Amino acid sequence: MNKSYKIYVIIMFMLLAVPGLLLLVLPEREYSSNENRYLDKMPKADLQEISTGGFQDKVTNAASDQFIVRDFMMGLSTAFKKTLGFKDIGGVYIAKDSRYISKITSSDIVSDTFIQNLMYTSYFAEQQEAEVYTMLVPSSGTILGDKLPAFAPFYNAGSMYNTVNTLLDTSKIIDIREILEQQESAADIYYKTDHHWTLQGAYAAYREYCNTTGIQKHSYGSFNPEKVSGSFYGTLYSKVLDFMAKPDEIYAIRTEQAESAVVTCDGEEKKGIYDKSALSQKDKYAYFFGGNYGRMDIKTGSSTGLKLLVIKDSFANSFVPFLLGDYSSITMIDPRYYNKPVLKAANQGKYDHILILYETSNFAGDSNLYKLTK
Amino acid sequence: MVFSSIIFLCIFMPIVFITYFLCPAGLRNILLLIASLVFYAWGEPVYILVMLFSTVFNYLSGRLIYMFKNKLMPRQAKIVLVISVIESIVVLFLFKYTDFFIQIVNTFSIKEIPLMEIALPAGISFYTFQIMSYTIDVYRGHVEAQKNIIDFAMYVCMFPQLIAGPVVRYGQVVYDIHGRKLEWQNIALGFQRFVTGLGKKVIFANLTGALWEDVYNASAADTSVLLAWLGAVAYTFQIYFDFSGYSDMAIGMGQMLGFDFPENFNYPYQSESITEFWRRWHISLSTWFKEYVYIPLGGNRKGLPRQVVNLFIVWVLTGLWHGAAWNFVIWGIYFFVLLLIEKWFLLGILQKVPKIIRHLYALLFIVIGWVVFACEDSGSLVSYFKALAGAGVPLASDFAVYKLYTHIILLLIMALACTKLPKRFMFKIEAMYAAKHPAIDKFYGEKIHFWIISAFTFIILILSIALLVSGSYNPFLYFRF
Repeated sequence: MNKSYKIYVIIMFMLLAVPGLLLLVLPEREYSSNENRYLDKMPKADLQEISTGGFQDKVTNAASDQFIVRDFMMGLSTAFKKTLGFKDIGGVYIAKDSRYISKITSSDIVSDTFIQNLMYTSYFAEQQEAEVYTMLVPSSGTILGDKLPAFAPFYNAGSMYNTVNTLLDTSKIIDIREILEQQESAADIYYKTDHHWTLQGAYAAYREYCNTTGIQKHSYGSFNPEKVSGSFYGTLYSKVLDFMAKPDEIYAIRTEQAESAVVTCDGEEKKGIYDKSALSQKDKYAYFFGGNYGRMDIKTGSSTGLKLLVIKDSFANSFVPFLLGDYSSITMIDPRYYNKPVLKAANQGKYDHILILYETSNFAGDSNLYKLTK
Repeated sequence: MVFSSIIFLCIFMPIVFITYFLCPAGLRNILLLIASLVFYAWGEPVYILVMLFSTVFNYLSGRLIYMFKNKLMPRQAKIVLVISVIESIVVLFLFKYTDFFIQIVNTFSIKEIPLMEIALPAGISFYTFQIMSYTIDVYRGHVEAQKNIIDFAMYVCMFPQLIAGPVVRYGQVVYDIHGRKLEWQNIALGFQRFVTGLGKKVIFANLTGALWEDVYNASAADTSVLLAWLGAVAYTFQIYFDFSGYSDMAIGMGQMLGFDFPENFNYPYQSESITEFWRRWHISLSTWFKEYVYIPLGGNRKGLPRQVVNLFIVWVLTGLWHGAAWNFVIWGIYFFVLLLIEKWFLLGILQKVPKIIRHLYALLFIVIGWVVFACEDSGSLVSYFKALAGAGVPLASDFAVYKLYTHIILLLIMALACTKLPKRFMFKIEAMYAAKHPAIDKFYGEKIHFWIISAFTFIILILSIALLVSGSYNPFLYFRF
């Protein structure tokens, strides 16, 4: 019996001590591409910080971030919670059809910030000679309500759109909820493992954009959509790290302008709107324009002479490609990364159209939209 | 440091235990003391001085009391005892109750006294109670004074039970301090006990604690009777699995180190009355109050009115021990009233009703008690009780239904896990096997039993680490104690 006890004690101590030892000796990981974030690292000892406990907190965080087989452990934790019947993990709903949907409840929407942002938008629009259109893309949970787990709480988008309608000029609001809901396979509007919309989702919005602005619309096929990746694990997957997740496919349009446009991203000039290197990385959505920049100026090569300004979040990145043929120049400003006055830039640019394009919950929570008034 | 952390499990624990096993027996006490100080300083780098001060002060008090008693100077011994007890109470009061006291004074006075906002040193209520039991027991002649300050400091500061109990009285471990032996059997079984406790904390308590947190913070629109009861049940499970999990971890590590710590929980939710519940819940604390407050006050020996007063004092103090806020006082008085009613007539009636009714009765009042315990401000307490009673809220809400069906498996497993049923089930299976294969059982029965539990703890340990690494909700509940 003593031998059994000995073996057991040794096994159990190894189970604890080996990861502990590796934590101390292995080189630290900077970045988790799987989780899409920088990892905490072991801090330097500092007497002042030790006395306040700050040092200890940092070590505690680093220990779990740098833990060996961290990704596997997170997957195990998710698998266990799923087995217990949990339907939301790490702020993400485990939805039907092996799909993930951001869990955004009414308590996540701060209505004061939302209204404030609408006021900024309205003020901005009043200052422009150009037509200012606003498109708030619904969260996937709003459109795919039937894919959510039964009774799962989700914020009420309807009342938010009502607020939008009372505060902004209704003729310039591009409300795409209905058109997205009418899509034949509603499930194809958003990626399964990422919070962004797919090319089809963006295309549906493009048609509605054309209807409102009077631009001539083209068929989906005429853009030559093509599969560029079949192994996309998006941001929602990164939060859940579910062993059972299936990858998404990314489609992108193949048009002349998409290849030949000259894009200046925060001062750096590139040819074409796609970043092929993103396809070999974790965040493959960055294939569109190479991710988010404060300001992107696109010389599309079209001869319409029209100029467009898009004030946007990342949802615009897969939407704007459809418009390359319609405008000679398109400028995209992402207020999160653009630290200059947006109002001024808009006034100076002499744009024909201005589009404010945000995902609804992003718009409601963004703390950078005050830049629209400067 | 908390037990449920990677730093403790993968770094502190292996280093300390392996060094401890390898070092000569004579050095083990000092090693344990140093490890305990590192453990405590990790969480309380400044307040460790408070603990060290109390330790030295009461070490000296113990020596003096013992000396005066031996010289037949009981008056002087008593004076030292009183001073030492006052020191403990003053330290506890200063760090734990100052602001509460100022708030009370402020409600009566015109001039507002600003709050001190002193952070509560972790474990202060536990180690202060251990220290008090020591000097009192020396005075009573139950134990001899400890001459070696390292051994005494080790008893006070020992990391397994330092921050969340059980309250180990000096007399319970005095022989272990010098004469303990390391045995593979105790290390193995202690480890199993430790992992069981870790699982109770990290798997059950943390997951159900997140549920309680969601319910407690739910918006008015999501509130319903169903949600309120679901939250109350969740908290009932959380506090039990958290607290008894910590005790299991402490007792298990104690066993690995060669100590025999007292049991602290004995399936409290199986109780058939509140009286029985308090014999099974946080046993070391109830025993402490009985030994050092209730009996010295005269217990039940001075007539009924005096006994009622004594009980009242004990329960107000028990309430206050859990935190310096009114809800804890109300919580203590709540149990005082229930226990009085049971003593008076209810226990008699309960004898005559079916067992299931007795269980339901006890559980109902236990759950309600936890709601009082959990709601620290009177506003949330009142609104929570309104929700429980269905005043102005619907019977069910989508949110409640969602939370219920996504947590029902967890709740059912926990309901089973806080009874003796799983253990009995295992014994039954083993007995059946033994009857079928008596020869194998005779030679391997013990081994098989051990390895089944071992495999189980292996899985629990990996799952617990997975949950800790994934950054799931992991609160420390005893910062108020």
